[in-house]
Amino acid sequence: MEPLTTVRVALIAVFTLLGLFFTFVSMTGVIRLPDVYSRAHTASQADTLGAGFALAAVALTVGLAGSGFKSVLLLFFIFVTNPTAAHAIARAAFEDGNVPWTEGDERR
Amino acid sequence: MGVTPVADGIVVPVERTATLRATVGHAAAEAAEAGADALHFVYLAAWRDDDPHVERLRQDATDLLEQVAVWAEYDLEDANAPDLRIETAILGTDAYLFGPGQYAERLHEYADANELGTVLLDPEYTPVGNTALLQPMEFELSSTGLTVREAPVDRPSRRERIVSELTGLRFGAVFALSLLFYFVLGDPTYPFDFVTGVASAAIVAITLSQVTLDHDPTLETPKRIVRGAVYVPVLLWEILKSNVVVARVILSPSLPIEPTTTRMRVLVGSGLPLTTLANSITLTPGTLTVRASDEDLIVHTLIPWAREGLFEGSLERWTRLIFYGREAARLPTPKERGDCDVLQGPDATADLPFAETDGGERVEDAAESKSEVTDE
Repeated sequence: MEPLTTVRVALIAVFTLLGLFFTFVSMTGVIRLPDVYSRAHTASQADTLGAGFALAAVALTVGLAGSGFKSVLLLFFIFVTNPTAAHAIARAAFEDGNVPWTEGDERR
Repeated sequence: MGVTPVADGIVVPVERTATLRATVGHAAAEAAEAGADALHFVYLAAWRDDDPHVERLRQDATDLLEQVAVWAEYDLEDANAPDLRIETAILGTDAYLFGPGQYAERLHEYADANELGTVLLDPEYTPVGNTALLQPMEFELSSTGLTVREAPVDRPSRRERIVSELTGLRFGAVFALSLLFYFVLGDPTYPFDFVTGVASAAIVAITLSQVTLDHDPTLETPKRIVRGAVYVPVLLWEILKSNVVVARVILSPSLPIEPTTTRMRVLVGSGLPLTTLANSITLTPGTLTVRASDEDLIVHTLIPWAREGLFEGSLERWTRLIFYGREAARLPTPKERGDCDVLQGPDATADLPFAETDGGERVEDAAESKSEVTDE
């Protein structure tokens, strides 16, 4: 494996922090937003950019030649499964007659 | 099965199936015996005439219908039915057909227009390559006042079908894909990995190739893969943009969200194209596909910015580019087509489509609730 240069270490740190940031945003959103639908929006942030940047950092750390490619594959599978799960949850709520929250709604 | 008297006429939806020949034979015999005056064979199109490159599909359907007509005439030579007319038609080329309801609707319209009272179904008839659609379609048809019957023909057993389909391109495609994936994870130059990889790929292909693919890969498939690969960075960029916008909304103290539910009629075919589009919409923060009922997508949007982007239809255009080629991607946006509805809030143009019987609460005063969003 190639040695870790300063630039690479810096990039790894930046990506990890970005991943943490979006995961934090996602978590904040799940707590702050009013209903199941809007929470599903923000939950997908952790999966897309949160996991995306974290896996980019992993790929940089281990090097693309070896296991780095596997983290790309991991990201691919997350991207395929995440919307399916989000859709399943939203659809279940909708079928159950859960009215999406709009402005002025008392529920919060 | 005793043949019930059929006074008017019979309509038979056809596709290339193992039991088509027998079904045609049965339809001819039944029509002759019952003294029917018309026997129609129809092909329900899975394409729209506006799409590029549909000539081949249309030619295919026309050939099939000609073949079927020849069979039926041959079968009727011995029967004493001079008044029986045989006709063929292709239905549903003005829109993509989704689900059993729309197939049944088109058949019903056609039967009404031509005064045909009976629908005879090939038991192996698989609209849009999906066997599971036949029974729901029979159910939908049964509420139309038409007489619906399945042709009592011998069906090849499942076992034979699997074996025959295993020889095809589907097996090869699934095998190659599984093997490639295995070699990416392992090391193809290491004999142990090579042998286990081939064995695993063979097992996967034998057991799953019929489930994974419902059409043979065609020349179009590699093109779609290439165009799909171009789409990935575009989608990533869209995701990045919306992530930043949504993150700002969530972190701002006033939480300036304006969630609404919208409905968008999309112009993509059912199956993989619709799934690609719906999943792309969900992957982008700010828009979430809640339901996909036929060509109508119910999309929940978190902020007006995301809603505008959705109605501009760039994801729809990309999906059409991937699956139907570049010419198909040039079309008016959903907004220009008038295919967008807001279902909630002051701008609502339609109601939330909850089923009447599901016991769900309804928003009666959605239009009145315009009060400003208050801080928590």
